[in-house]
Amino acid sequence: MRKVDMPERPGWREAAAELGFTFADMHGEPYWDESSAYEFTLREIEDDIEDPAAELHGLCREAVAAIVASEELMTRLAIPEPHWDLVAESWHRNAPEIYGRFDLAYDGTGPAKLLEYNADTPTSLYESASFQWGWLEEQIALGVLRPTDDQFNSIHEALVDRFRTLFAPGTDLHFAAMAGNPEDYATVEAMGWAAREAGLGAHYTDLEKIGLSEDGQFADAEDRVIGTLFKLYPWEDLLRDPFAAHLAGAGCLLLEPAWKAVVSNKGLLPVLWQMFEGHPNLLPAFFLADVEAALSGGSPAPAVAASFARVPHLAREHVVKPLFSREGASISIVENGQVTDASPDQGYAGHPKIVQAYQPLPVFDGFRPVIGAWMVGTACCGVGIREDRGRITQDLSRFKPHYIRD
Amino acid sequence: MRKRSHRVALCIVGAAAFSLAGCREEEVDAQAFPDLASCQAAARVGSSAFSEADCDTAFAEAQQIHVESAPRYDALEVCEAEHGEGACGSEQQVTGGGTGSIFMPLLAGYLIGNMLGRGMPMAQPLYRSSDGRFTNATGATSYSGNSGRTQVGASQFERPPTTVGKPPMSKTTVTSRGGFGGSATGRSFGG
Repeated sequence: MRKVDMPERPGWREAAAELGFTFADMHGEPYWDESSAYEFTLREIEDDIEDPAAELHGLCREAVAAIVASEELMTRLAIPEPHWDLVAESWHRNAPEIYGRFDLAYDGTGPAKLLEYNADTPTSLYESASFQWGWLEEQIALGVLRPTDDQFNSIHEALVDRFRTLFAPGTDLHFAAMAGNPEDYATVEAMGWAAREAGLGAHYTDLEKIGLSEDGQFADAEDRVIGTLFKLYPWEDLLRDPFAAHLAGAGCLLLEPAWKAVVSNKGLLPVLWQMFEGHPNLLPAFFLADVEAALSGGSPAPAVAASFARVPHLAREHVVKPLFSREGASISIVENGQVTDASPDQGYAGHPKIVQAYQPLPVFDGFRPVIGAWMVGTACCGVGIREDRGRITQDLSRFKPHYIRD
Repeated sequence: MRKRSHRVALCIVGAAAFSLAGCREEEVDAQAFPDLASCQAAARVGSSAFSEADCDTAFAEAQQIHVESAPRYDALEVCEAEHGEGACGSEQQVTGGGTGSIFMPLLAGYLIGNMLGRGMPMAQPLYRSSDGRFTNATGATSYSGNSGRTQVGASQFERPPTTVGKPPMSKTTVTSRGGFGGSATGRSFGG
């Protein structure tokens, strides 16, 4: 793994605008940045990212089974009690999952470490699956990259296959996002293209415009009944919305399914550590409530005391994350017992928290990349990299393309 | 083994994208005609890329797709809400078969296209939509008119799913809206 400076494609900004990629520059800062790219060997991709991501996915599914069977864990993960059955039933019915993204810390050596799992509403799908792909093809055509270079990115094809496997031809799917957010919309539309290519009907509706019919079904902005709804809106919010009461009776298949509420939740991380302590791709993690006293010299909760004692460095070197947090909000880093970094956005500060061992991100040319490993179904099928100058990757981080050279 | 997609949809074109197909796909020269006669007339005066025989073949194909795949509704008013007043009839009236309790739009023209390497022209039926524009059978694509030349994506000529024998679309009665989105905690929901 290395970072390589390379010429930008002439006119790529105009091309991006034409393709509708309007947030290629956000808030005056470059978001898509192709002045350099990350190079991987095939071995790094396959052995260090693809296979571990598929394995992590399996561990997460084991964790789901354990969490939905435990009232204690459902409580700790702040799943609203009236919806425990909805979440558990969606798991027991094997409600299908479409996609997800593991965020990994990886520097080209040693095992990639799971920072968190965006299991429910991962974005940057368009730039990962599509714009990055176009970059590789064009850079090969321009002679900047070699014809033998490749990219770990079959995300689009995997999504098409996934939709084709799950739904009969002609099935109507609705896609919803909150209005007015081009980044979210781009992810929803990339998903819609895949559904359409799979021979399905793809319809968009703003999430806020969804209505409820007399007989308790959800309907789109044009009053059409919604049979299947892909929603780019997190379950932790959905379950607290007024219409949540109608989820069970609406006869609507939701994508991602309700059981994703227990994995798109930082509470997953301590559960994984409890179940698979010492796994090479996991970082030690605990519920803050269990170890808060221990962090200031007291004792941890008895249930985790032994486990906590096996990671003596964690008390002074860790990251505190709220259960629900997007784009790095409300995260703080503790080093040598002191808070050395905290994200300015404290919007989630009031939520329950977890602590995770601090895994510094590698630094390449002044920037710290996070590897997004894309899952479709149960397979890892691509990588999207975001990097930031700061240690907490936030919504203004840059997206960097990558290629494989062997 | 290749680790990347062989092809992907490259563009995101704003809120209309779900009603537009054909993003950077193969483009096909196409022409729309309100009826068979106008197609034949254009062919005779040479103002069309298509011959009279093409007109006949394509019209027959569009009519067949129309019978099999036109949108079907459970009430005339639901159909007219989509396609405009006077633009619908019962399945019996429109196709000469079926029932009188299912309603579908009248054929309002057809799109004829030439794809390289395919001997015969391709065709799709066109329907009025309530906003004065025209749509294809699935309603997924909207056109500004039912005559004139255009270029459309090749997928526009894929065969739409059949609607014969399927439950017709009904208009649900919506009693409330806005029950989702209120708990939003951030301005972007991705991560």
